Amino acid sequence: MTVPVEWYLVLSAAVFCIGIFGILTRRNALIFLISVELMLNAANINLVAFSHFYGNATGQVFALFTIGLAAAEVAIGIGIILVLTRNFGEADVTLPTEMRW
Amino acid sequence: MALDTLGGEDWFLHLAPALVMIATALALFGVDALDPDSTNHRAVFGVTLAGTLAALGSAIALLFGMGPELGTTLFSDQLVADEASLLFTLIVTSVTSLVVLGSYDYLEDLPDKGEFYSLLLLAATGMVLMAHANSLATVFVALELASLPSYALVSFLTDNRGSVEGGLKYFLIGALSSAVFVYGISLVYAATGSLLLSDVGTAVTEGVDQTGVLGLGVLLMVAGFGFKIASVPFHFWAPDAYEGAPAPISGFVSSASKAAGFLIAFRVFTTAFPLGAMQDAGIDWVFVFGVLAVLTMLLGNLAAATQDEVKRMLAYSSIAHAGYVLIALAALKSGGAHNDWVLAGGMLHLFVYGFMNTGAFLFVALAEHWDVGRTFEDYAGLGEEAPVASAAVTVLLFSLAGLPVGGGFWSKFMLFGGAIQNGFWWFAAIGLAASALSLFYYWRLIRALWIDQPTDGGHELDGTPTGLYVAVLVAALVTVGLLVGVGPVAEVAFDAAGNLVG
Repeated sequence: MTVPVEWYLVLSAAVFCIGIFGILTRRNALIFLISVELMLNAANINLVAFSHFYGNATGQVFALFTIGLAAAEVAIGIGIILVLTRNFGEADVTLPTEMRW
Repeated sequence: MALDTLGGEDWFLHLAPALVMIATALALFGVDALDPDSTNHRAVFGVTLAGTLAALGSAIALLFGMGPELGTTLFSDQLVADEASLLFTLIVTSVTSLVVLGSYDYLEDLPDKGEFYSLLLLAATGMVLMAHANSLATVFVALELASLPSYALVSFLTDNRGSVEGGLKYFLIGALSSAVFVYGISLVYAATGSLLLSDVGTAVTEGVDQTGVLGLGVLLMVAGFGFKIASVPFHFWAPDAYEGAPAPISGFVSSASKAAGFLIAFRVFTTAFPLGAMQDAGIDWVFVFGVLAVLTMLLGNLAAATQDEVKRMLAYSSIAHAGYVLIALAALKSGGAHNDWVLAGGMLHLFVYGFMNTGAFLFVALAEHWDVGRTFEDYAGLGEEAPVASAAVTVLLFSLAGLPVGGGFWSKFMLFGGAIQNGFWWFAAIGLAASALSLFYYWRLIRALWIDQPTDGGHELDGTPTGLYVAVLVAALVTVGLLVGVGPVAEVAFDAAGNLVG
């Protein structure tokens, strides 16, 4: 029995929404990063599932690119969070309020 | 397989500007890795400037037809080389050259100069590749190549809390927007089965089964673009990032990065989501961009008018200018006779804006170099103490407002005129009202420079930052030059726009 492709859409939408929920509710910058990773992986689920559905490799190859880019993004992000902790003492995204809106 | 057949005929000539910048960036990394402790600033700066000028020169040469013929696709349609990509390569490489020139004095007392320049070059390479991207995959990869070094550059002053805060906000919102954007791409792929812009366009024209999935995908992609070009309501990271960043980087990110983001939006929405077919399917992206344009013009200008700090005023002004350019997408009409006019107006505005805005931010860098201060009052009296730079920035500011002292007049004229001819007179009306309002806050800075008396007996301007001076002057001269010599650039913009909507 194969799983209908629509179910993958539902799964990826759920993962994406969990990511959004994490971003909106958590204050720690690292959790924020993990939530963004969830959202990126939601996209990967779609890409791989529909790559299989359409029978072309485009989606799978692009998913590999996305995984690589996500890793690069985290590398930059950890660096910025490091200087954040050095300057503000904590990795709390609500702390830096030097500038007004 | 030989490289030549893999990439397509003469691919290395088409991509010469990007290749030159990659090579320069890697050379800088290499030199810095061999000898990390003692950076010879003069040498590093010289190599960087030579690289960006070579890239600029090769872009100009390609534009004048000295290279292979334009209008071809490379690497199995993943990249495209046409007038639009060259025009925006020209914008990015000129802005980068100005920023490199201005950074020499700015970086004088800072560590890690080599890293700064190589990150700048890598970001610029990403922006040039954004201009060439012809599939959603290359769009995303190029976007990330442009964004990731920019995050690091904005938070470059690691001991400055403002810079770190700006960098953090830029990074968090940027990462979020990339995730939203790539999820939108995955939904478009789910609906159409392809990532190539032209194939997506064909699939959309032939009709898509899951219109809802496609519509959601398009909406998420609009949101992703909205973040990248700092349009209201996705703009809130921009003032902080632009204010906190080193001033040359503010100019770089708000001009070059915005221009490249806009070209991607132009290309993706005109090629992959043809207006007629999308409106038949009930996905009216023109309307969405119309709402964004009006909101961005109004809120950007109103917020800029209430600022006390010069750099923050310029940040909001750059948001407002994104609003003007959004008209280029909002005033398109299915089968409209003047679509190319509108789009060319947007491209021309981005071109002129690249010089005007970078010049203005480099003037702020000049003021930061002299420790003048941040508010309008602090700038009082600079006109007498530094008349040349003040005169240059006065021209730039008037041109930003759209007065006929610089190329900004023509680009706004084309943009608003095209909107009227396509039947969207209200965009032109709002744009004109917003420009009138913008004159008010630009005038505040000009009045401070020339008319107001300094409160505490003037500034001590020590040292002559030649690089910054040259950069501000070149920006002003090009802006004025475009008032009389806008013809050739407008012609290229018309060709470029005609390729996309023609």
